Amino acid sequence: MKNRDSTKYLRNATLFALASILLFIWVFPLVWAVVVSLKSEAEVLAYPPRIIFEATAQNFKDALFGGVSILPSLITSLIVSTATTILTILIAVPAAYAFARLELRGKKWLGFYTLATQMVPPVGLVIPYFLILNKVGWLDSYQGMITVYLTFSLPFAIWLLVSYMEDIPREMEEAAFLDKANRFQALWHVILPQVRGGIAVTIIFVFLNAWNEFLFAVQLGGNTVRPVTVAMYNFVSVEQTLWAKLSAAALIAMVPMIIIGITAQKQIVKGLTVGAVKGGGRQ
Amino acid sequence: MHRQGGLFAGERGFALLMVSPGLLVLALTTTFPLAYLIWSSFQNINLAMPFLDGFAGLDNYRDMLSDGRFWHALQLTGIYTVSSVFLQLVIGLGLALLVMQIPTGQWLFRIVAILPIVLAPVVVGLFWRTLMLAPEFGIVDFIIRTLGFESVNWLGSPTPALVSVILIHTWQWTPFAFLVLLASLASLPLDVFEAARIDKANAFQRFIHITLPLIRPAIIIVVIMRSMIALSAFAAIFAATGGGPGTASEILNLYAYKTSFVELNFGYGSALAVSLLIITLGVSGILFHLRTARRS
Repeated sequence: MKNRDSTKYLRNATLFALASILLFIWVFPLVWAVVVSLKSEAEVLAYPPRIIFEATAQNFKDALFGGVSILPSLITSLIVSTATTILTILIAVPAAYAFARLELRGKKWLGFYTLATQMVPPVGLVIPYFLILNKVGWLDSYQGMITVYLTFSLPFAIWLLVSYMEDIPREMEEAAFLDKANRFQALWHVILPQVRGGIAVTIIFVFLNAWNEFLFAVQLGGNTVRPVTVAMYNFVSVEQTLWAKLSAAALIAMVPMIIIGITAQKQIVKGLTVGAVKGGGRQ
Repeated sequence: MHRQGGLFAGERGFALLMVSPGLLVLALTTTFPLAYLIWSSFQNINLAMPFLDGFAGLDNYRDMLSDGRFWHALQLTGIYTVSSVFLQLVIGLGLALLVMQIPTGQWLFRIVAILPIVLAPVVVGLFWRTLMLAPEFGIVDFIIRTLGFESVNWLGSPTPALVSVILIHTWQWTPFAFLVLLASLASLPLDVFEAARIDKANAFQRFIHITLPLIRPAIIIVVIMRSMIALSAFAAIFAATGGGPGTASEILNLYAYKTSFVELNFGYGSALAVSLLIITLGVSGILFHLRTARRS
């Protein structure tokens, strides 16, 4: 029996070690970015890389207030992401309600259409959008960028919200109708409070995707609308070797996402798995 | 069934009212540009040589068939998608099974796994290009040299560049597979496993005959979602290698992009994008079909 215990212990220790290695691989690039962001540029190029060094906050100051400040880009990203999120939720909630809970002619096909729009490769949209926005004069404009962002946020939001709305028991609405509520009142007073969690998850996902978007941002933006992902890319291509400043800028841009990710970790995982765990999700 | 409120005559009318803004916006923002893309794939649109613009018929598609760079990009798209999705699935499932065995501290894995997912792919590409994989100063090169191996120019030579962009993608998205599969495993009923244990099934048999069939829906969802993303992966590759060196890591997505925005040949770029669109819809169609067909 004792022998068995020790093999079990050994097995658990091996499992834990193996899992920890993978854990380390995921966390390391971020940790290393933090280390590099605290170094001076000369220190970055020291070989072998030093773990002990004099830390400096200069890179963060430069990234925020220096010559190539990312502050305007952070504001741009905030405007674009917030506007995209608000518009998406306003349009997606009623649509998802209809898909999940109402009789609608051709619902199956309309649902399939929504799902299909989600699968369109972004490069297939950035090309026509460049030509169209160029003609309309909307390149490098907020209204252009937000319109484009709806292409990936809206289908996703509808799809995610439908899964949450389907889970609400019919009886709750029936009760509201018995109280002489109309459809809209039922949506407002019965359904919406029930899917508050689902709406929160959707907001998180839409905001995150909009904030992190790069292809549309780099090609359809410009000097007026330059989201932070583009600012960072420009940073490295212009200032090839300024790794410390790049690391600092990237960390500043990613900190809001990391905070959202860690605090809303449970909700995000739920959103990722909403279709998968239910045993297949949407038909 | 139930009485209707006065404001909206019938359920269908109300449903239409609710759904039409969404469908209208989708039609305007997605379907119209796609139609435009298909139209432009039959045109000569070259911003560098606008005097040649005009209807091209099937010329762009004919050019594509005899374009070695297209076939190369297509091949790379296949390699990139299949290998990265396979790696994500295998590592993610393996880790999920491992973590399920760990009695405490699962939360730590869940938190860490969220980190790569919330990072912008362009940041991931930039971090790997500079801090991790750069020759001489990158930490991976440092480790390799410390272990006594030759320094490798990870992103500067063809095969290592392709391997690197696949591994970067795998690094960022394996946590997705891990989290979805972990949640799926955690939702399985325990009594099935107890019964199998009483039947003296060993761990491997239990995995093949019980666990795997039960989590198959989750696995298929992971494969579908990750394949769609891998097929149109852009920012991380663009930031890490730009498709290079040469065309060594240029998947179809990047080729369509470069043709349009670097060579300014929008007609041909559109045709390339249409081919990627067809491939994406085809692959998703097959995968969805597999999902419904296998479920009994």
